[in-house]
Amino acid sequence: MPSVLLTDSISFELGALEPWPSDVKLYQPYEVEQILLQDQANSLAVQVFLRMCGLDFQVSPTTPTCCKVEMRSNAEHMSPSGKLPFIKCGAFVVADLDPVVSFVANKGINLTDHLDAAQKADMRAYMSLANNILGNAELYISWCDETVLNEVTGPRYGSVYSWPLNTLLTWRKQKQVTKKLTALGWITKTLDEVYEDVDHCCNALSERLGNHLYFFNDRCTELDAVVFGHVFTLLTTPLPDNRLASIVRSYPNLVEACQFLEKTFFQKPTAKTSDDDSDHFD
Amino acid sequence: YTAKGQAIYDVRHLRADDCTCQHPEIVACIYCLFFFIFKSPCYNCGFKGFIPKFVMASNPVMELDIWKGEWGLPSIDVNCLEVMTYAKFSGTHLKTKSTNNPLRTPTGSLPVFQHENECLTKFGEISAYLRKNNHTADFELSPKQCAEAFAYSHLIYEKLAPALQFVWWIDSKNFVEFSRPLYAKLLPFPLNFYYPGQYEKHAKQLMVSLYPEEEDFSVIETAVYRQAEECLSLLATKLGEKEYFFGQSPSSLDAIVFAHLAPLLKAPLPSAALQNHLKACTNLTRFVGRVLQRYFPKELKEQEQKERQQTAKQEAPCSDTDFPNKFRNISIAALVSFIAMIAYATSIGIIQVIISGA
Repeated sequence: MPSVLLTDSISFELGALEPWPSDVKLYQPYEVEQILLQDQANSLAVQVFLRMCGLDFQVSPTTPTCCKVEMRSNAEHMSPSGKLPFIKCGAFVVADLDPVVSFVANKGINLTDHLDAAQKADMRAYMSLANNILGNAELYISWCDETVLNEVTGPRYGSVYSWPLNTLLTWRKQKQVTKKLTALGWITKTLDEVYEDVDHCCNALSERLGNHLYFFNDRCTELDAVVFGHVFTLLTTPLPDNRLASIVRSYPNLVEACQFLEKTFFQKPTAKTSDDDSDHFD
Repeated sequence: YTAKGQAIYDVRHLRADDCTCQHPEIVACIYCLFFFIFKSPCYNCGFKGFIPKFVMASNPVMELDIWKGEWGLPSIDVNCLEVMTYAKFSGTHLKTKSTNNPLRTPTGSLPVFQHENECLTKFGEISAYLRKNNHTADFELSPKQCAEAFAYSHLIYEKLAPALQFVWWIDSKNFVEFSRPLYAKLLPFPLNFYYPGQYEKHAKQLMVSLYPEEEDFSVIETAVYRQAEECLSLLATKLGEKEYFFGQSPSSLDAIVFAHLAPLLKAPLPSAALQNHLKACTNLTRFVGRVLQRYFPKELKEQEQKERQQTAKQEAPCSDTDFPNKFRNISIAALVSFIAMIAYATSIGIIQVIISGA
């Protein structure tokens, strides 16, 4: 079986020849019962990125303005690299935001044309920051904090399986995540240190955002998508301890930017059938 | 302190009556007993009691235990370099000790920063501590620049640090011909059998956790190198033609960048794909050289001296320096063999000594 990473580079070469098909689907776990913090953040980031590019994905025949997202209980195992979400675009399956951005760029659609080289470097740095700190913090809180693990993550992750499969799979996933966080050096941090890091990260992002609604030149970029994904997830996911949400809420410009993006890209004029709008900021 | 930052339980010891300093009252615990073999004198009064290495009287001098330096660098290790460079940039007077011994540390890795009962190992914690004590390299940065420095440091940790681990420990040619012998030379016996293997295992675990579905390391290698090259290009773009990343004076970001680039640039790696890419980014190479010249001139001079000695040795004929006492050794050997042969010949009767008797 050809490896994932080589397949990416081959597919980029071939994918550049075809225009954007009309039956692109985005796959993620079930939004209400199954999905976890980090997966939801990444999924929202990819969705908003595709909408920013003006590319539609799976328009359902009944409500033409509603963009449908495919939900599968085994989306994680369907994904070629194990990362969520992934999109199926014609003959290609591309997972995770960075490969999707490159894939879309190969088709000639780019959100960063208006940036100069230094700004592009800044954007990549801030994206690294958001993914590194917010992503790993979400993983840590989901899988390494006992309360959250027992009350939220465990039930949600195992909700689609019967006993004893749910306990076994949850245990296996926890071991995997713990190994990853150990390799990255996050496992030795206490919960307070994690919250401090999240605070520091939000501070840095807030400094960069300033009074604007977008991070660069008043036009949206991948960085806006990534930050939207994380901020929206952290604000709207109910956890036993709401310190994360309160930390993020203490930076009003981030919240405002997130609300603006939600209104621009996810607001439906008709009755709300899309699951994205089930959470609000109230 | 233990790995989780909890204070080690203390051990009671006898105090000299006229000792004026305040030794911490200590109660025995299994963990401390292990360190009893490492006695060290009190900094104030020289009292040599049972003081575990990490619970000592208030140390007025800032000390850092590091890995030794090679190739003109003050240290071979990225983390040690981060702390040392930041200390230089912020004007802190830091006493460095090349212990080369990760066993005698709270967390099992160097560097270890010690000052007044504080024992820290991570760069973030150490720089925060120095900032609290009014030693900072970032006083000229605006809040926005501080945010940028923070973001770029994470870019390096995410994209460049895994590649460095790969180059050092996973690339088999480098590991067998370069890293393992280097660390085996530096570490004391018998740790030199244990730690290089441990570091390789940690590096492999890091790769597996970052690329969980991938089993073939050559594919991971391509991906990791691609990310590292992208990161180097971004850093080169950010630096441009400036002296330091944020203007005329160096900041914490400069320390982190220097620490990651200097070993990659200076180490004599057998398989040097990433090193060549770095050398192609000339402004980054010049940046590393500039920092070395201005802040670590002693190490640079030592390296130049060593190089000069080596070239001088290579030019002179080898035989004279290898065997200085050649003639003496040959004559002694000839004499000994002559005596031995005469004695043997006499004993079997070829040569007969006739003593003309009376």
